[in-house]
Amino acid sequence: MSVQDARGPQDDEGQMTSIVIKGARRAFGTVRAVDGVDLAVAEGEFFTLLGPSGCGKTTLLRMIAGFTELDAGEIRFGERRIDKLSAHRRDIGMVFQNYAVFPNLTVAGNVAYGLKARRVSAVEIGERVEQALALVQLKGYGERQPHQLSGGQLQRVAIARALVIRPQVLLFDEPLSNLDARLRVSMRGEIRELQKSLGITSIYVTHDQEEAMSVSDRIALMNAGKLEQVGVPADIYRKPATRFAAEFMGTTNLVEATRLGLAAPVWVSLRPEALRFGEDAPAGWRRLPATATHVEMLGPLTRLEAKLANGTVLRMAMLDAPQRQLSAGQAVTLAFDANQLTIVP
Amino acid sequence: MISPQQRLPVTIAVLGFAFLGLFLLWPLFNVFGASLLDSEGTRFTLANYGKMLGRPFYRTAIANTLEIGAWATLITTLLAVPFAFAMARLPVPGKAAILAMASLPLVLPSFVSAYAIVLMLGRSGIVTHWLQGWGLGFGSVYGKGGIVTVYVLTLYPYVLLPTIAAFKAVDVSMEEAAQNLGSSPARTVRTVILPIVLPAILAGALLVFIETLENFGVPFVLAEDQPIFAVEAFKLFIGETAPNPASAGVLATLLILTTALVLVIQRRFLASRRFATNARQVPPLLKVGRAARALSTVYCWLVVLVALLPFFAIVVLSFLEFRGPVLHGNFSTDNFAHLFGREMRALGNTLLLASGAALGTTLVGVPVGYVVTRWRNGAATLLDVVAMLPFAVAGTVLAIGFVISFNSGWLVLTGGPLILILAYTVRKVPFAVRSASAIVHQIDLSLEEASVSLGRSPAETFLRIVVPLMLGGITSGIVLTWVTVASELSSTVVLYSGQWRTMTVVMFQALEGGSAGVATAAASLLIVVTLIPIALLYRLVKRYELGS
Repeated sequence: MSVQDARGPQDDEGQMTSIVIKGARRAFGTVRAVDGVDLAVAEGEFFTLLGPSGCGKTTLLRMIAGFTELDAGEIRFGERRIDKLSAHRRDIGMVFQNYAVFPNLTVAGNVAYGLKARRVSAVEIGERVEQALALVQLKGYGERQPHQLSGGQLQRVAIARALVIRPQVLLFDEPLSNLDARLRVSMRGEIRELQKSLGITSIYVTHDQEEAMSVSDRIALMNAGKLEQVGVPADIYRKPATRFAAEFMGTTNLVEATRLGLAAPVWVSLRPEALRFGEDAPAGWRRLPATATHVEMLGPLTRLEAKLANGTVLRMAMLDAPQRQLSAGQAVTLAFDANQLTIVP
Repeated sequence: MISPQQRLPVTIAVLGFAFLGLFLLWPLFNVFGASLLDSEGTRFTLANYGKMLGRPFYRTAIANTLEIGAWATLITTLLAVPFAFAMARLPVPGKAAILAMASLPLVLPSFVSAYAIVLMLGRSGIVTHWLQGWGLGFGSVYGKGGIVTVYVLTLYPYVLLPTIAAFKAVDVSMEEAAQNLGSSPARTVRTVILPIVLPAILAGALLVFIETLENFGVPFVLAEDQPIFAVEAFKLFIGETAPNPASAGVLATLLILTTALVLVIQRRFLASRRFATNARQVPPLLKVGRAARALSTVYCWLVVLVALLPFFAIVVLSFLEFRGPVLHGNFSTDNFAHLFGREMRALGNTLLLASGAALGTTLVGVPVGYVVTRWRNGAATLLDVVAMLPFAVAGTVLAIGFVISFNSGWLVLTGGPLILILAYTVRKVPFAVRSASAIVHQIDLSLEEASVSLGRSPAETFLRIVVPLMLGGITSGIVLTWVTVASELSSTVVLYSGQWRTMTVVMFQALEGGSAGVATAAASLLIVVTLIPIALLYRLVKRYELGS
């Protein structure tokens, strides 16, 4: 099979491809890195694999890219099965954690690399490289050497290089984790915008739940090689399906309901920001007397730990309120809406 | 079934195993086999070992070889470690020049150094005569003492260079922590720095020891009546009387086993003692008094210059007049006239064979080095071990195996140039694999994955991304292979035939009793042939470093 017909027509712009993964499995020795994953990513969707390190998200991404083989299962782009295809025939744009910009080529040489592999004409390569560099705000940087660029610029080159081939699928492997905090926030916005404007189906891997929530259409939370929960960001945060999901997505209070004075013998998740002081809460909320044990002023937020009469410690977070004086040892009344509690199995 | 990503490594590994199997394992197997067969070559026997080990002459050869190796290693280490410390941490003037000159003994032929010492200090040496004119005499340079001296002077860079690097890699915060805890500078060196650099020192010392076990040229020049392993194996095989592959095989096998044993001991020892300290910056020079500064300067310069003196001397001697083996003090270009008149062919052979070997070594070493680094599994580990094996095999031994294996049968190579090129290639493969592997370690795997995901096959990626990134290292490797092959003696002397004599063979034959004048001219020419590419490489590397 030639490179051409493996990839389909060249100028098929704005092509939309869905990704379907069925029963994907991979073990390294005795460790089941990916343990039976079923997943469907819609056309043009920005889909994120989120989880702690070692959860299998990178292995799953590398299976799609073709760098890790499947022990069992299959992966399809649309109707076409691709998991037996060589990595270089899958028509994927990939952005790596450490940029992986070729140090022996110029910026333009890097961006043109995939086009040359596709035997695109020199004239067209020139045009498309210019466009791609403009898209990532690197117009005029073509002749620079990679060692002259900053980390953020290198990652833009890597993104341009992945976009310029107009791949069916874009893969991002923790692309922002080598950048500093401020740049991370602005770059994730840019990545999101680019993806939406181009409409290329994308899978994004990260361990940072805030980053995942900010960029994704949907998130798959992974743990120990399995999918823990799949859903839109708000649902995953507000309605965690499992204890792991509740704890991984931000901070939460996982307590037995009886400890909060409720009758049901279940575990519930109560987010710190869902707690309020008794005097601020609506009338129907449950109120609990407590003692503040630890106060942490973080600027826009204040965090508080308070101990209930039965010894349970609850964490609470509120926006900065200059008129309120808080200190450890102070008696407070906590309030929460019993209807908003999430029961976790 | 082989998956698509594995096609490239599997192909390289299969070709690598095929090459090393045919040109390394098969000859070694035959050497081993020869040592285990009776005189008719049909029945299995251990009698050859009993016979050889029963003869005091060969027991002495083993003892001599180990004794010389141990002394040379010990003295080299004691000489090189303070040298390395001064280079890394003391204000010695002219460090760049010292470093450049200190690397030269690694590429210059050690037997030339030995020969120069004989011409100067030997029985009819010029210095000897001159001193005798004053009524002064000194001990003999022949025998163990002379051999150890030449080894120390030519092998000390093996300890010096890695130890300098190790001293420089010690994170300065280690020292600061020790001093902060109340340790004096001297105690800090002894209790913190030396233990950290010890593995590097030992690795270098091991190289020295193995080199002494394998070296053929130096003992051939200096041993006289003292039997030495590698020389006796050669004599038994080439034998003025009847060639004796069985006895040569016994010595060769024992030599391999000794080297292998040393390597195993080293691995055991070093495995539990690997300290990695990541120096963010090179530790600063120590502030020392004027006396210490002067002493260290004199010491470093003295070692470097004394080690190069024999090479310098031979160049001077080559412009003096010889009558037979006897030297006269007049300036003359006759030696070169004779050399170019009769031995132009040998010079051409050396250049051709060295180029062939450099090409062969690169073609084998670079892909194998890539695979053993990138492809982590049992087959890759085995390939790595096999590719390192020539390191433990003396040139004489490998050559004997080549003659036994390729003198008849379906693949006959004896008598031509190819057998020399193949033997050189096999001998240099470990160095090429190690250096290629070190470079590949520096190349981030995701660069290759990026290339593949952009549509280049693994093979194209290897050629378009990996090879360009390795180019600097590959170039140095080619030059180093080229120059060390140009002065190779131990396997050449077994494998050359009639018209395929090399410069080293010309020298070797001159030593055996031909004209000393031609030998000095050949040695000078060899030094020039070695230094020119090294100088070019040095400039190239410098430009490369400035350019990036």
